[in-house]
Amino acid sequence: MRTAMTTESDATPAECPPFADIVRQHQGMVFSIAWNFLRDRTLAEELAQDVFLQLHRHLHEMQSAAHVAFWLKKVACHRAIDCARRRKLRPQVSIEGVPEPSIPAAPGDPLLSDMLRRLIGALPEKQRMALILRYQEDLDPAEIAEVLKVPVRTIKSQLQRSLATLRQKLGRRLGEEIV
Amino acid sequence: MSRLDDELRNALRREDPGEDFTKRVLERAAALPPKRSWRERLLAVFGPAGNRWAAGALAASLLIGVGGIEYRRQQRMRAEGEAAKAQLMVAMRIAGSKLRLAREKVMQVGEE
Repeated sequence: MRTAMTTESDATPAECPPFADIVRQHQGMVFSIAWNFLRDRTLAEELAQDVFLQLHRHLHEMQSAAHVAFWLKKVACHRAIDCARRRKLRPQVSIEGVPEPSIPAAPGDPLLSDMLRRLIGALPEKQRMALILRYQEDLDPAEIAEVLKVPVRTIKSQLQRSLATLRQKLGRRLGEEIV
Repeated sequence: MSRLDDELRNALRREDPGEDFTKRVLERAAALPPKRSWRERLLAVFGPAGNRWAAGALAASLLIGVGGIEYRRQQRMRAEGEAAKAQLMVAMRIAGSKLRLAREKVMQVGEE
């Protein structure tokens, strides 16, 4: 459905939904990639808006709904990495500087989630983005490699390394059950 | 699947940017200048239709002016080349006659 807000250049190829629908459908994905990566709500929203505006300019090049989804994912990832590099957001805290919980955490514990997010925020950029695509977007290593334009074996080793770091950090206090 | 996988999925779950996000994006998209082809952008450089004729005439005048100057420069260079060639020929002729005279003098001395 088109709204009064849609513009003339919203003309999408027949296989693609209108621009407003694309924004509604994918805003959670694009915003969350930026939010989970940058941990700055204002920056994440600004970045997500810029990604959609970039899509708006390239809408005529989109061939299908799947192409749009892949393009948004790829551009959001690369822009988030660029943004972090530009603003030197990494690391806000070193991985050793993240405090460990003193009591065992229950499944779905918000404190544990918060600690995990801070640990992820302290990971190197590439490892962090691979982890976000793996667990937020549920992509397999081959799909992550395609989005980030790196070899599959690099993604596999980045995922292994980041999981090993998280296990090591969490396992000390949370015991074997978490790993 | 380990508990760590579950906890990571929970920590990295998708979040919504808020109700007004779509509206804000569409407002910004509507404010963007319309996308134009390279031809339209080129034509826009010369402004409205009336100005295009003036700009075309100006460009043609400049082209003719520059062409005329270049043609005159070439003509001048050719004339200078011709003059230099003529001077060289005169010099050669004078040198030839002097040589002939010297040769005759030498022959006369030899006969005496």
